[in-house]
Amino acid sequence: MLVPVPSAPLPPVPQTPSEPIVVARGLCKTFRVAEKQPGLGGTLRHFLRRRHRDVPAVTDVSFTIQPGEIVGFLGPNGAGKTTTLKMLTGLIHPTAGSATVAGHTPHRRQRGFLEAITLVMGQKQQLIWDLPPLDSLRVNAAVYGLDDTEARRRIDELAEMLELGEELTRPVRKLSLGQRMKAELMAALLHRPAVLFLDEPSLGLDVNAQARVRQFLVDYNRRTGATVLLTSHYMADITALCPRVLLIHGGRLFYDGRLAGLSERLAPWRQVRLELAQPLPAETFHSYGELESLDGAEVRLLIPRQRLTEVVARLLNELPVLDLEVSDPPIEELIGRLFRQGVVA
Amino acid sequence: MSTRLSLARGLRIARVLLSTQYAYMLEYRAEIALWALSGVLPFIMLGVWSAALAAGGDDAGLGLGLSQAELARYFLGAFIARQFTVVWVVWAFEEDSLAGRLSPYLLQPLQPLWRYVAAHLAEQATRLPFVAVIAALFFLLQPAAFALPSPGRFLLAVLAIWLAFAIHFLLQSLIAILCFWSERAQALERLLFIPYLFLSGLVAPLAAFPPGVRQVAFFTPFPHMIGFPAQLLAGLEVSIASSFAAMAGWIALLLPLTALAWRAGVRRYTAMGA
Amino acid sequence: MASDWRRYTRTLRRFWGTALAGQLEYQLNLLIELLAMAGNLAGSLFVLSLFYGNGSGGSGPGLGGWSWPEAQVVLGVYTLLDGVSSTLLRPNLSRIVTHVQEGTLDFVLLKPIDSQFWLSARTVSPAGLPEIAVGLALMLGAGLKVGARLDAATLALVAVLLLSSTVILYALWFLLATTSIWFVKTWNATEVLRAALAAGRYPITAYPAGLRTLFTLVLPVAFLTTVPAEAVLGRVSGPWALASLGVAAGFLLLSRAFWRFALRFYTSASS
Repeated sequence: MLVPVPSAPLPPVPQTPSEPIVVARGLCKTFRVAEKQPGLGGTLRHFLRRRHRDVPAVTDVSFTIQPGEIVGFLGPNGAGKTTTLKMLTGLIHPTAGSATVAGHTPHRRQRGFLEAITLVMGQKQQLIWDLPPLDSLRVNAAVYGLDDTEARRRIDELAEMLELGEELTRPVRKLSLGQRMKAELMAALLHRPAVLFLDEPSLGLDVNAQARVRQFLVDYNRRTGATVLLTSHYMADITALCPRVLLIHGGRLFYDGRLAGLSERLAPWRQVRLELAQPLPAETFHSYGELESLDGAEVRLLIPRQRLTEVVARLLNELPVLDLEVSDPPIEELIGRLFRQGVVA
Repeated sequence: MSTRLSLARGLRIARVLLSTQYAYMLEYRAEIALWALSGVLPFIMLGVWSAALAAGGDDAGLGLGLSQAELARYFLGAFIARQFTVVWVVWAFEEDSLAGRLSPYLLQPLQPLWRYVAAHLAEQATRLPFVAVIAALFFLLQPAAFALPSPGRFLLAVLAIWLAFAIHFLLQSLIAILCFWSERAQALERLLFIPYLFLSGLVAPLAAFPPGVRQVAFFTPFPHMIGFPAQLLAGLEVSIASSFAAMAGWIALLLPLTALAWRAGVRRYTAMGA
Repeated sequence: MASDWRRYTRTLRRFWGTALAGQLEYQLNLLIELLAMAGNLAGSLFVLSLFYGNGSGGSGPGLGGWSWPEAQVVLGVYTLLDGVSSTLLRPNLSRIVTHVQEGTLDFVLLKPIDSQFWLSARTVSPAGLPEIAVGLALMLGAGLKVGARLDAATLALVAVLLLSSTVILYALWFLLATTSIWFVKTWNATEVLRAALAAGRYPITAYPAGLRTLFTLVLPVAFLTTVPAEAVLGRVSGPWALASLGVAAGFLLLSRAFWRFALRFYTSASS
């Protein structure tokens, strides 16, 4: 059964321009990688004469995020998403550039900063494996200095939003992956952070659980006005949650804007599907656009956006067209292709 | 096992297993070197015993019947014997069964315990250079104690160490097999280690024990596992035939026991459908 | 500052509350721990007795001028410290390498609480408590047997010196555990440390001169067991007591500085 995915709600866009809550200015991170030949000889040689190679992971990434925005962070594996998130959460120092999150410099890791943010990592967990989530939540309440009544209130509130009940009193190891992720979210949000960094929060979850997590993030954002920066492999997460996306590729910011605009940027052409009265040879279509496929009387062409009207008119005039359909290549497919091939048009 | 292995096939399996395990262990040589170092207990005990011997003059009422040089060689021998009889099959087995690697092993026409035997032998081969370096350093620091065993004695010591390894491996395998029944079987290894520690000769030559305790100790396999090879390596007087006979007896007892326990364990494992 | 104190004490209560809740399931473990403790203590006492003529029926040379009950005081301190390390040190410090390997150190670093505190005090295991009790009993009982005067001042000094030994042990262990930030594989170095610390079962004067220097200056085994045992026997000298406190403070500060230093590498190199 598929749970209907809610249409993407618009974030509470502030009417007056306010101070951005996340600012990245020319962020760079270069990792120093030791060059070592394998084997004992290589180790010895490395010991005597160290050689390093600098590998840029993130280069000159700048953007700002307003309070309350939900922003999707896209890019193939190894593009620099996690490195950027780690710089914004203060887990690693930028090599160059600077970041400001909730008014703090992240890598100083001051208490005020740590209490204002949270990081959820889909493949890592902070809950205590052998104990019910409630115990981990109590630990976090103490760590963040919440008193018992306040902690109780927030736990109840989050449990209701996440539809968690008696699961909270069952050992974590006995929970399903989806229940565990929901409990992880509770642990990460108990201190009511203003900025949420989510790294693949729905990794490995089934479609149902993904949809629930998504719905929760939308509700949470609406209720608390929290800012969300999220990476995900599931395009559905991005299309449902993020009106704005950042696309990073090869460590550089490649796109920053509305999701719809991304497809124009990624695919400056549209797809035209024709059904003809009779099959025609492939050469016939060269003058109209790029031939994507030819299957008997069914033809798919790619046509640059700016020539679309003109070409469609010509097609209808010059060829025996029974049916014609113009479509945008689906964004999932474009990004999927981008991730697979690792190239940006 | 029901499949009859021809000798050639057995040798080939052994060669492949040993060489892959050796390559694997080489990757972990840094850790193995540290493991080797964590066996320093005999050297600490040597310090205490030699100071006591020096303080008390000739034999000092310790009943050791050893000179300082012999004492030093004994504890070096104990160190070496310990290095090549370290067994960790309980932990490896438990990890493999938790990680679900056991089921595929059970499908192969090779008793899975042989894998662990090969892994241990490969690990010992990796240890060998570190142990040699430590022994060389030892003699550099204690030149007065230097003496090499005669070739005959050395070969006997190697044989004794292998037999000691076999006994230790079988004992621990029995505990490992209990993992089929109880998740906490591994904790039993802690209990087995205690008599091993105190009765094997690792912390004191058995000659120093009161006669009653010594007699009881010789009814256990432990004194043969460290003390006997150490005495052989140190060139001390020792009743070779009776010790080898005792070791053979223990293996004759433990081998069928382990095989039976294994079969019962696998039956339980498959019945549980795990 | 008052609210800081409250936050840390409340956190500690929660840490240990959850730790105990997680272990009550394993009564069998407790039984095994008790048996292991009894066996270890009996074995250690037996080996110790060999130096006092148990083996030959004679009188034996003893250990470095310590009488049989005096040597038992040392063994009592050793047992006590071993209990403390099973209760507090091992359960916490052995996890550091896992945190580094699995990347969950990230969560610890993002908490608004001192990361060394979190890593060192996260959990507690009751398994070592019987050992602590038995160690205390042996230490004080054997002390009384040789006529030690256990008045309030002596007991206070013993307590301070035991605390100092615990701190030294903790700091040494934490220092080694910290290296796992760079080399996950050197985790086994802590096993080497533990093995070497077994030397603390005997008074420092039981060793030949070379080892004695090593165990005082390089690996401070002397401060771990011999110095507190001397205090029980009412014969610790002022300079040794002060040195113990100094070594403890020094190692503690070093472990803190080293952890901060290591974090700089973690936070600039991890991916």
